[in-house]
Amino acid sequence: MSIVLYRVDERLIHGQVVVAWGHALRFDTLIVVDDDLAASEWERDLYRLAAGEARAAFLTVDDAVDALPAAASGEERVVVLTRGLAAMRALGEAGLLDGADINLGGQHHAADRREVLSYLHLTDGDLRDIERLTALGARVAARDVPDATRVPAAQLLGP
Amino acid sequence: MRAVPFLSLARTFARSFLIQGSWNYRSMLGCGFAFAMMPSLRAIYRDDPHALRRALDRHLDHFNAHPYLSGVALGAAIRLEAEGADDEAIRRFKVAVRGPLGGLGDTLVWALWLPAASLVALVAFWLGAPGWLAAVSFLIVYNVVHVGLRAWGFRAGLAAGRGVGAKLAQADLAGLTGRLKPGAVVVLGALTGVLLTADGGLAGAGPGWMLAGVGAIGLGLGFGHRSWRPAAAVTVAVTLILGVWGMLT
Repeated sequence: MSIVLYRVDERLIHGQVVVAWGHALRFDTLIVVDDDLAASEWERDLYRLAAGEARAAFLTVDDAVDALPAAASGEERVVVLTRGLAAMRALGEAGLLDGADINLGGQHHAADRREVLSYLHLTDGDLRDIERLTALGARVAARDVPDATRVPAAQLLGP
Repeated sequence: MRAVPFLSLARTFARSFLIQGSWNYRSMLGCGFAFAMMPSLRAIYRDDPHALRRALDRHLDHFNAHPYLSGVALGAAIRLEAEGADDEAIRRFKVAVRGPLGGLGDTLVWALWLPAASLVALVAFWLGAPGWLAAVSFLIVYNVVHVGLRAWGFRAGLAAGRGVGAKLAQADLAGLTGRLKPGAVVVLGALTGVLLTADGGLAGAGPGWMLAGVGAIGLGLGFGHRSWRPAAAVTVAVTLILGVWGMLT
């Protein structure tokens, strides 16, 4: 098993992931699962800049469903990133996330989102996705950087 | 593409120095970005107040980047606006560019250039340069690179627009950081040596200051952010041993 982190973070590849999680996990490769990015070269060029020494790959959800099982049993230490919960849920529906830890790392303020944690603003749809991922066997929790407190899904969803 | 007058570009560049002026948790650099864009937007939309308003609106959105590299995004956004790119394309560009600009700037400036330039000035001071000279030369050396980086970034953004990622990759800022790092470590070593041996340095500080230093390290470890790593332990131990040895001899 060498997928060392599944993370939902709107900013995708950025300092917290590359420096803070990079230091804690020593990953080799970042796999960004995002249909838009997989089709947009100039955006990939920009995100790749932020990856530092790690290799960055950009896959559609469909391609990721095919590629991730191989990554999970490979030698390289891989971090899987999605921009939002919808893409992560799609990976879960494909049966890839049973028993996996899903890290929620950052969703900014927007009109239809409410503040759950200072770095995590979620829509009602996001909350349903978290429930669904939990039902699919994933352990969902928020934690922006490795040193921060882990806030489990039950606490995010409230009573 | 609509040409933006040099004066408007110069005003945007000048305003980019104030981009953190209304930093806040919700939009971060958003207000500063819109403020800096304003002179160029006025030129691009001089006959269309409604379009100007919409443009200002989209640039008030959440944005974040390293302040010194924010010019890359400003330049590219001006080019996109002047080319008549649509709202969605400009927003997507800004979302994509903020991570790399933040990461590159943090590693190049905050983690490397600022400490390295400070260390050089400290070494000069402990080697006997007058305090004012060390301070003034630090400000000059540091800011030549700072302003140069801003100007380079703004021009690169203007020239490349949305494709600025390829241009930044070509400039290899991350590689530059890697190549400069050993130099900074050498300067840090030099500072340690100079601090221990120079007149008025650690060796001559006396037991009171030594104890205060140990106390400060203890307080930092107890209450500060966790940074207790083997390298830190070795550095503190060696500094203490050399300091005590310096006092005894």
